[in-house]
Amino acid sequence: MLDVSRVQKELVEVAGDKVSGVSIQLLGNSLSHLQGTIDGPSGTPYEGGVFTIDIQLPSSYPFEPPKMRFITKVWHPNISSQNGAICLDILKDQWSPALTLKTALLSLQALLSTPEPKDPQDAVVAEQYLKHNNTFIATARYWTEAFAKRSSIGLHEKIQKIVEMGFSEEAARAALQSSGGDENAALEKLCVG
Amino acid sequence: MKVKILSWHAVAAWTWDAHDDACGICRMAFDGCCPDCKVPGDDCPLIWGACNHAFHLHCILKWVNSQSPRPHCPMCRREWQFQA
Ligand SMILES: [Zn+2]
Ligand SMILES: [Zn+2]
Ligand SMILES: [Zn+2]
Repeated sequence: MLDVSRVQKELVEVAGDKVSGVSIQLLGNSLSHLQGTIDGPSGTPYEGGVFTIDIQLPSSYPFEPPKMRFITKVWHPNISSQNGAICLDILKDQWSPALTLKTALLSLQALLSTPEPKDPQDAVVAEQYLKHNNTFIATARYWTEAFAKRSSIGLHEKIQKIVEMGFSEEAARAALQSSGGDENAALEKLCVG
Repeated sequence: MKVKILSWHAVAAWTWDAHDDACGICRMAFDGCCPDCKVPGDDCPLIWGACNHAFHLHCILKWVNSQSPRPHCPMCRREWQFQA
């Protein structure tokens, strides 16, 4: 049985904390499926982004770690660029019941600041990190812009839709930008111009 | 006038002698009980590890049993041993 009172206490604690740059939302009535967000740490390619984390609590929580996965696409050696799976020891064998959802989210924030390419989740990203660090930084920054900016939420889908109608991705992005993200206004602009 | 006492409730304050004020596993205060118990007190005792960290007995047993054969203290990660 999930320790409901402990999870409730944790949620109250996180809700009262406005400085750490982490938050947790309920998805429905169930306490076993939550959604967290972390702010990208400043001074990193993730700065300015807000990253959404899917959180599943096993019924034996806190005796087993929470299952966490990035929903927001992120370019990082320890996070799968395909499915958001995370390689972090405290979410696996180094978990302790004294840790909390908040400390786990803070650890993810720390992971964004200090990648561990020697223990990769995404081998392609890890290799780029080690061999072509400038390219890595540029890619990570681009992914933050494209997927993790508040204003870019849904932007990717909108661009895809416009591209499917036969416009180039570049034109779609520019039109959306100049029309403040309004899909219809952007299409009108593209058709006229 | 004669007062006849039909019943009385003894009221006393007590507290466990622990350094922190809440169990690091269930986060309930030490003067409350673990989530599996209804009443704090002798039925839901505190227990200390060799490292001096205290937990509800019921909470640390659940953790130790899920971690055998080499459980560690949830707070300091030293090998867990019950304080003699
Ligand atoms: Zn406890
Ligand atoms: Zn108990
Ligand atoms: Zn300890």
